[in-house]
Amino acid sequence: MTNEEIIQQKIVNRFPATEGKFRLQRARRIWVEVTREIFLPLFEFAKQELKFVEFCTLTGLDEGENLLFIYHLAQEYTGIVLNLKVAVPKSDPVIPTITNFFPAAELPERELEDLLGAKVAGLAPGPRYPLPDEWPAGDHPLRKDWQPREDEAKPEVPHG
Amino acid sequence: MGVREKIVTWARMKSPWVIHFNTGSCNACDIEIVDTLTPRYDVERFGVQLKGTPRHADVLLCSGPVTKQVRDRLVRVYEQMPEPKFVVAVGTCSCSGGVFNGCYNIHDGGIDQIIPVSAYIPGCPARPEAILDGVVKLLGSLQAKVEENDGTRPAPLPFL
Amino acid sequence: MAKVTIPFGPQHPALKEPERFDLTILGERIVRLNARLGYNHRGIEKACEQRSYISALYLIERICGICSHSHATAFVQCVEEIAGLEVPARARYIRTLIAELERMHSHLLWLGVAGHEIGFDTLLMYTWRDREVVMDLLAALTGNRVNYGINTIGGVRRDVSPEQCAEILRGIDTLEERTKYYMQLATEDAMLAERLVAVGSLCTEDAARLGAVGPVARASNLNQDVRRDDPYAAYGELDFKVITDTHCDVYGRVLVRVGELMESCRIICQVLSNLPEGPIAVKAPRKIPAGEALTRYEAPRGEDVHYVRGNGTERPERVKVRAPTLANVQAVSKMLENNYLADMPIVLAAIDPCFSCTDRAVVVREAGCVEQRMDWKALRLYGIEWYRKNRGIDCSKIKLRM
Repeated sequence: MTNEEIIQQKIVNRFPATEGKFRLQRARRIWVEVTREIFLPLFEFAKQELKFVEFCTLTGLDEGENLLFIYHLAQEYTGIVLNLKVAVPKSDPVIPTITNFFPAAELPERELEDLLGAKVAGLAPGPRYPLPDEWPAGDHPLRKDWQPREDEAKPEVPHG
Repeated sequence: MGVREKIVTWARMKSPWVIHFNTGSCNACDIEIVDTLTPRYDVERFGVQLKGTPRHADVLLCSGPVTKQVRDRLVRVYEQMPEPKFVVAVGTCSCSGGVFNGCYNIHDGGIDQIIPVSAYIPGCPARPEAILDGVVKLLGSLQAKVEENDGTRPAPLPFL
Repeated sequence: MAKVTIPFGPQHPALKEPERFDLTILGERIVRLNARLGYNHRGIEKACEQRSYISALYLIERICGICSHSHATAFVQCVEEIAGLEVPARARYIRTLIAELERMHSHLLWLGVAGHEIGFDTLLMYTWRDREVVMDLLAALTGNRVNYGINTIGGVRRDVSPEQCAEILRGIDTLEERTKYYMQLATEDAMLAERLVAVGSLCTEDAARLGAVGPVARASNLNQDVRRDDPYAAYGELDFKVITDTHCDVYGRVLVRVGELMESCRIICQVLSNLPEGPIAVKAPRKIPAGEALTRYEAPRGEDVHYVRGNGTERPERVKVRAPTLANVQAVSKMLENNYLADMPIVLAAIDPCFSCTDRAVVVREAGCVEQRMDWKALRLYGIEWYRKNRGIDCSKIKLRM
């Protein structure tokens, strides 16, 4: 069995609901779809027991009906990347924070809130990132149905 | 023109002090600007010195498309410079927006939509030789402006 | 003594890019750092969704001028994985060659900037003069000094001739001499050591917990390098050392980067002596099939992560970029704890920040403190009042021309 298959087996043994949701794309890449309910326990299992201790990044995307969040975790020394995909409905786009496991996830989670309109439960309040201060709230550029505003006033050029 | 004005204008043309401000660029133009200060291109032989504060500077070297967050700060930096002041747009992005035209966080059209520009140096990035050429042409045009206001012809600048 | 908060940026001589940091200081010691990032956010990820893959490649290259090849290669590797393209060996080796030349130019640039931040301008002039050797090689190979445009989907656009190989080897010989000099400077100069040791400390546990990557992590004794752990391009077939250091401070970061310069020279020599024959690109389809891929790339600043999803059309569905500085900037507030204000520029420079890669607010709040904010006019009135009360001088008649 390859390393990736061993990891897949360990996760399926612990969380039988993930049976059939795996895709071993190639060496060092594992993709698995999980539901919001088992997301945090699986995350903790991956970090503490399977040693996926490097948090690469967090991708958010708009899939039409749902928002999909992909958490990319890397195992130390082997370079194996576990990609956890969690889909949440747009009507209830709440996902728990992972800053307790990885403090470095704070800025990527703020990006999700700002650019996609997700709600990260448990994230400490703080300044927005990366949109500018004057950007209106509720305007989320990464959503597929977002349109640029037409009514923006053109800035006035000072005379030199 | 009185003697004092003549001396001040002579000092400005022989030794313009520049300040560099990055308004959201990818850094390529910025490192080419810093490159002009290094031994191969050596812009200091023209009397150009890089200053840290806009209040000491004659010329603002601006690179990058203007992001919405940076716009007010750019205007503030421009207003802090003493008269007469000149703005040089370095790189295609600050001339016209470059590859970033159409991005949601950019003011389309380059920095001349925000502040008046005296010289444009295109390039992606603008080569150090092009930056030197642009600075020298700017000094030449200052010379022409002085003659136009004055009627008398000051001694020609040695590098023209 | 009251704590004072001073702004650092967005326009500052030590910063090449606009970012804003609010430093709270007690005397000369930094107590707190609030970062407000996002000045360089241009909306590139959204713009890629509206362009074809090749146009998106040129946009991705301009995320950052210094690590442009890193971003372009990572993106193109994702697209090739989704499309199932087998990149020819010669193209992979040429990508590795340009990647290592880019690493050399970036580290020499950093060494100069670090020298400038501590007042050692001679080092800036020496390193940037030596950097011109690398820039000339890159211009000869690719046609541009920065933003090379050597990648295309399926391979590379230009080949390397035997004459160019000989020229590169001559350039590398010069650079190896100069790097030995910088290594000697870094290890033997007492003044440099005094200035940089114990500045910006980040212990191994904190580096791992806060997710530091690249030379910052390796200088805190974390043995991680994507070129070895998750090989891409030609790195799986090359032999190189991963440089780590136990100093855990800015001095360690200098030693790691100078060590990596030497390793890059060795890697380039290996690439040129083992360059395989063959085509430099395979034909890529205009429409990339549906699928997704993740690439990790060891940029000069650290681990660069790209995720691309295709949907069967000419345009990508989603492009996500995580630049190395985003991972490192969250460690900066830990590094600055209890350091002097004068160390702020060098500590920030030591993570080799590249905010254009990052942006596409780290807040550390202290419990129970009351914030007071003054604008310019209020500050002036405060000063006038203070002088009237404490020195008996009345400055209110002075008119300011604003």
